[in-house]
Amino acid sequence: MSEIVGEVGRQEEDTQKGKFLTFLVGKEEYGIEIKYVTEIIGGIQAITEVPEVPEYVKGIINLRGKIIPVMDVNLRFRKDARDYDDRTCIIVIDIDDLSVGLIVDNVAEVVSIADEEIVPPPDARAGFQNRYIKGIGKAGNAVKLLLDCQRLLSNEHLESLHQFPDQPK
Amino acid sequence: MKRVLVVDDALFMRHMIKMILDNNRFQVVGEAENGLEAAQKYNELRPDLVTMDITMPEVDGIGAVKLIKKMDPQAKIVMISAMGQERFVKDAILAGASGFLVKPFSEEKVVQVLNAL
Amino acid sequence: MYKGFSKEPMLEMFIFESLQLAEQLEQTILANEKARCLEQNVINEIFRIMHTIKGSAAMMMFDGIASVAHSIEDLFYYIRESCPENLEYSTICDLVLGSIDYIKREIAKLEQDCDLDGDPKALIAAVGEYLSVIRGNSGENTAKIDDVPLLAAGEKKFYIATSKSSVETGNIRYRALVFFSSDCEMENIRAFNIVHQLKDQVEEIDYLPADIIENNATADFIRENGFDILFTSRLVPERLKEFFLKDPFVDHLDLRVIEDEGPVDEPLKARKQIIAADTEEAPEQGRQPVNCRQSMISVNVGKLDQLMDMVGELVISEAMVTFNPDLATAVSLDNFHKAVRQHRKIINELQDIVMSIRMVPLSMTFMKMNRIVRDMSKKLNKDVILEISGEDTEVDKNIIEHLSDPLMHLIRNATDHGIESREERKRLGKPPVARVQLEAKNEGGDVYIVVRDDGAGLNKEKILVKAQAQGLIQKPESELSDREIYSAILLPGFSTTEVISQFSGRGVGMDVVAKNIEAVRGTVLIDSSPGLGTTVSLKIPLTLAIISGMQVKVGNAVYIIPITSIKESFKARPGDIFVDPDNNEMIMVRGRCYPVVRLHRRYQVKTDITEIADGIIVIVENDSRFLCLFADALLGEQQVVVKALPKFMGKIEGISGCTLLGNGKACLILDVAGLIKPD
Repeated sequence: MSEIVGEVGRQEEDTQKGKFLTFLVGKEEYGIEIKYVTEIIGGIQAITEVPEVPEYVKGIINLRGKIIPVMDVNLRFRKDARDYDDRTCIIVIDIDDLSVGLIVDNVAEVVSIADEEIVPPPDARAGFQNRYIKGIGKAGNAVKLLLDCQRLLSNEHLESLHQFPDQPK
Repeated sequence: MKRVLVVDDALFMRHMIKMILDNNRFQVVGEAENGLEAAQKYNELRPDLVTMDITMPEVDGIGAVKLIKKMDPQAKIVMISAMGQERFVKDAILAGASGFLVKPFSEEKVVQVLNAL
Repeated sequence: MYKGFSKEPMLEMFIFESLQLAEQLEQTILANEKARCLEQNVINEIFRIMHTIKGSAAMMMFDGIASVAHSIEDLFYYIRESCPENLEYSTICDLVLGSIDYIKREIAKLEQDCDLDGDPKALIAAVGEYLSVIRGNSGENTAKIDDVPLLAAGEKKFYIATSKSSVETGNIRYRALVFFSSDCEMENIRAFNIVHQLKDQVEEIDYLPADIIENNATADFIRENGFDILFTSRLVPERLKEFFLKDPFVDHLDLRVIEDEGPVDEPLKARKQIIAADTEEAPEQGRQPVNCRQSMISVNVGKLDQLMDMVGELVISEAMVTFNPDLATAVSLDNFHKAVRQHRKIINELQDIVMSIRMVPLSMTFMKMNRIVRDMSKKLNKDVILEISGEDTEVDKNIIEHLSDPLMHLIRNATDHGIESREERKRLGKPPVARVQLEAKNEGGDVYIVVRDDGAGLNKEKILVKAQAQGLIQKPESELSDREIYSAILLPGFSTTEVISQFSGRGVGMDVVAKNIEAVRGTVLIDSSPGLGTTVSLKIPLTLAIISGMQVKVGNAVYIIPITSIKESFKARPGDIFVDPDNNEMIMVRGRCYPVVRLHRRYQVKTDITEIADGIIVIVENDSRFLCLFADALLGEQQVVVKALPKFMGKIEGISGCTLLGNGKACLILDVAGLIKPD
């Protein structure tokens, strides 16, 4: 029985392999592995702000009874804040049982990018600082920056932030 | 569909047996966790078959077989025993038990034994 | 062999029941060790529990657990049957407790999905050794069991059961050789069953081996050589074959009609009535009241959690209906409001019932502490008794799980560090037997669990010095209450014990206790008097899931303040507020001065209401400490379902969780204890 389940799981993974959801943040097109994506919410719903978190954590939303945090990817990349409009979307991703909504400017499409079409980002030793990109993929003529979800969600910033004194007196 | 009363003081065993029976087109109509309750349930439910543990508090399995057999000499009771309980199984058979299983048993054996009755 | 079983639910059941039985057994042993005797019913109970665990473990193929349980079962079988004298109670208790520990350890591995790698050999050997020691004391009994002579293969020896019959009357003489299937077990009893069932259909019956009942070793003989039966019957061979093969354990049958009249293999005359008359009297044991119908069922906690969640959803949707904006356009709502009141009443009752289902008495958790005190006082050579009271106090199942470890730690601390050595107590003229009290009680919406010892008490000076040295306390000594000083031991990194003993210490200190208790929104209070002892009180909420909350508005944001922490609320007049040189705002209410926290400043929320007179002051309390919160307005009381903030957020001081409002929006729940906590 368990063998069969394993088989199905593997098949599912296979069909998802090499597929990326692409979206726009600023001018760049980013890609994120489809297996992490659980849903896309069109438009911005009411976000409840939470104090004492980094600026890019916009707060929490109610996703059908489940409360999940949302993060503005623009701000996460230290870009300037942009106003939300009707093309703004929240992509809900699920990593290691952690659900997080990513606020992006626009969701583009699902593309397949074969492994051989993906090149690693430039070496950090070349003085190139990048924390969130795990590869650069080519789909047709376009170039997509493939995000490292794990690092996107790593909350080292949050932890360091909590060490600061709570409030200025 | 044969109606079965499952008697065992261990929840685990009751569930195990119930699961096996559910899987094999038997209907578990009641459960009891000691011999006295078994006799009461038997009287109330008049099942076609009984699976009976031996070691139980209050009244043990042998006592229960005797009580049930008094009520209904036709009662069909299968003892659930373990190695080392030969003496008790013998007593149960003398008291009127129809057959017995030895823990640990397989699903297949349970079904065979119950179907044979 | 077990492929047909879906193991998951059975595993859960096995873990649940075996653990429960192990706990029960442990308590039985501890209770009886004190009494220094084993009564018959206790021996029976131990035997039965180990028998049950053995059976279940064998079904699940957990051989280690099964064999350990089996060894104790054997030991108690012997004790029960032979009633040996001069039993060493403490040895027996150690053996049983050791086995329980082994079983618990293995089950813990099951829970964590690890391999069962505990080696039971040493344990089983120890039990076996002790069994042979007590057997040595009353030797003859064993001899009776073991010295039954094995039947030599091929020895022909028949017994006749029913002697009256003759071979005439048209009966046919048969000889049947029965082989049982290889996994059958207890072949001798199977054979006996066949003989017993056959008896009704045949006239004269002999069989080999003959001593199938007395001698279990005949099982091996039958396995090798088959079971040989000689009988006469009117039945035709086909019917008999049918009879034999109906037994699912009969693998192979050789049935022959015997033609010649002569006695086969010189059957010996019946000397032994094998088949006893089976109309024995039923035992008159049923003295107990007959009404033991099952009124308890066991339910998967997951399902209860689901039920709780559903009730939570119901509470939210009720708010969505009753506060629906569309209602503003309706003309008459009298009937609607009447229906709403009834609706709310039913939901509240439902909620109470669901909560009560989830409530579990603390007794199991408390009883575990008996063992800890026993083991520790033995090892530390101290005389300590544990006094338990209020163990029937109930708290939510989810909370109980968080209490076990902290309590264990507190009890260990009390026994190890709190209680003085024997000599020291003697020198101080204290009672030689030290007492550790474990008490639970309900007070308001909270449960208090108190661990009290009559030991040496905490060393205030030492704690202060150490806390100051580590920078854990900044305030000058004169401003510190005793409680504040004692509370320093709850801070991470604090530990005063220089000697790490076997039981406490090891780097995990009181901070772990505090953390665990905080996780269930509880608090830890410490009191101590030098020379008289220490009292640690844990204040725990009854439940985590649903609370009554006051919605307060701050700008566009809405926060929930738990009703239990609200003392009062009022409109302040301009000028009520004054400011100290450090810019801390304060307010005087009935001659008492309270600090003021403006929620809009604290949480940096934009609002137009910044004048004290325009908004509202809410006085909140935690552990006799007060704080005034300033908000725009109160929006009303509501039942809210407490949800944890997403882990991603980390812990935020002053926020205990979040909830969903009637309009579907998420909102934050204020943590009053966290807001009051001095920085």
